[in-house]
Amino acid sequence: MTAARLTDPVAAELIKLRTLPALWIALAVAVTANTALGAIAATDVIRLAGDGGPTGIEGAGALMLAPVYAYLAIAVFAAGTEYRNGQLRLSLAAVPGRARFLAAKLLAILVVSLLAAVPVLIPNLVLRGDLGDLGRYLAAYLLLALTGYGFAFAARTVVTPIAVLAAVPILVSTTLGGLWPTVVRVLPHEAALSLVGMPADPATALSPAAGLLVLTGWATVSVTIGGVLVARRDV
Amino acid sequence: MIEFKGVTKRYGAKTAVDAVTFAVRPGRVTGFLGPNGAGKSTSLRVLLGLDHATSGEALIAGKRYRDLTFPLRTVGALLDGAGPVPDRRGADHLAWIARSNRIPRSRVGEVLEAVGLTDAARQRTGRYSLGMRQRLGIATALLGDPEVLILDEPVNGLDPDGIRWIRSFLRGYAGRGRTVLLSSHLMTEMADTADDVVVIANGRIVADGALADITEGHPSLEDAFFALTGAASKQVWS
Repeated sequence: MTAARLTDPVAAELIKLRTLPALWIALAVAVTANTALGAIAATDVIRLAGDGGPTGIEGAGALMLAPVYAYLAIAVFAAGTEYRNGQLRLSLAAVPGRARFLAAKLLAILVVSLLAAVPVLIPNLVLRGDLGDLGRYLAAYLLLALTGYGFAFAARTVVTPIAVLAAVPILVSTTLGGLWPTVVRVLPHEAALSLVGMPADPATALSPAAGLLVLTGWATVSVTIGGVLVARRDV
Repeated sequence: MIEFKGVTKRYGAKTAVDAVTFAVRPGRVTGFLGPNGAGKSTSLRVLLGLDHATSGEALIAGKRYRDLTFPLRTVGALLDGAGPVPDRRGADHLAWIARSNRIPRSRVGEVLEAVGLTDAARQRTGRYSLGMRQRLGIATALLGDPEVLILDEPVNGLDPDGIRWIRSFLRGYAGRGRTVLLSSHLMTEMADTADDVVVIANGRIVADGALADITEGHPSLEDAFFALTGAASKQVWS
């Protein structure tokens, strides 16, 4: 019998992703929102009230980064839907080597996330004239997506990772940013803002390199914990 | 050939299956019979490597399931609590499973036709009835044209036509020298389909043999079941 290759489960995972409508909806929301924000920032048609008078939305890092939460839903759906209706049992019956299954799934989601990043990021950056920052935006988007991906495997649901990752910057960062800036600056959202050079507050700012390091740490820990749990759990 | 060799599975303090040992031979339909919660599904999940055995091992053709190169080409399984994501179309559901084991895409249409779902192939599975979902599960099991078929409660949700179809299909499948393990809590259904019967109650095998031997001296398989399992199983059934 022909030896099993990783390309077989990777191709299967790509079919899974391609045939999931929620994924296309998340992509459409991310593309539309990010392109609209890019257009608004470029034309300055909407300005936000600030202490020193109205400012362009480009200065509002949290707002500019908001579409990432629709984008990371793609990776979260990829992992979280395995627990919908017991699909994981079918996945592991098809690919019983759990390390092989996890490697294939991770590769597939990396490919899809990279492809999805093109329409999500490039129009926004072109409109804002910031295409030179593509590398750090791509890193921030991919690493946040991987953080959500591992979280979804650990939580065994789609809802919790998206809710937690999106709520933390709204609830925790705004309320605790002034009290515990050293803690808040290493949260995924703040690290991502630092990485793309738009920290919400100087008190919670990291250098872009430190932001990259912290965000890489979150993604690594999340994917590792999610993977270990899938490998060890009964399904 | 399927072999369970002293398989024990504990979840914390609860022992779900206890030293389960039996063999399933090719060319016969073997019924795996027991009440809900007796340990049937757990045993099958251990066999397919989905749950880790606390001790013992379960083998298919002398190998652990996870050591099979393209497992779906050897073993087809319909498992309880393992279904398609409702947003995905039936044909797409089968397509990813086929691709994972390098099964030709043409098999998707063939198995959909075999279970009578050709017209529903492009429908999202969330719109399927219970019977249609069950048929899709059977189609999934047949995808790799496997030598071994493991079906957990296959008649659940099937209409009378579907039940008759699965019964004659399984008889034909085993008649071609293939191995069929059929789990059910429906004793009448089992009596009409199985050649051999393995009875499990409270996680332990209480009877294992040819249907005729198990039912000998009893008016029905159901009577044999209660006679064999005694008070312990009556407690489970009640």
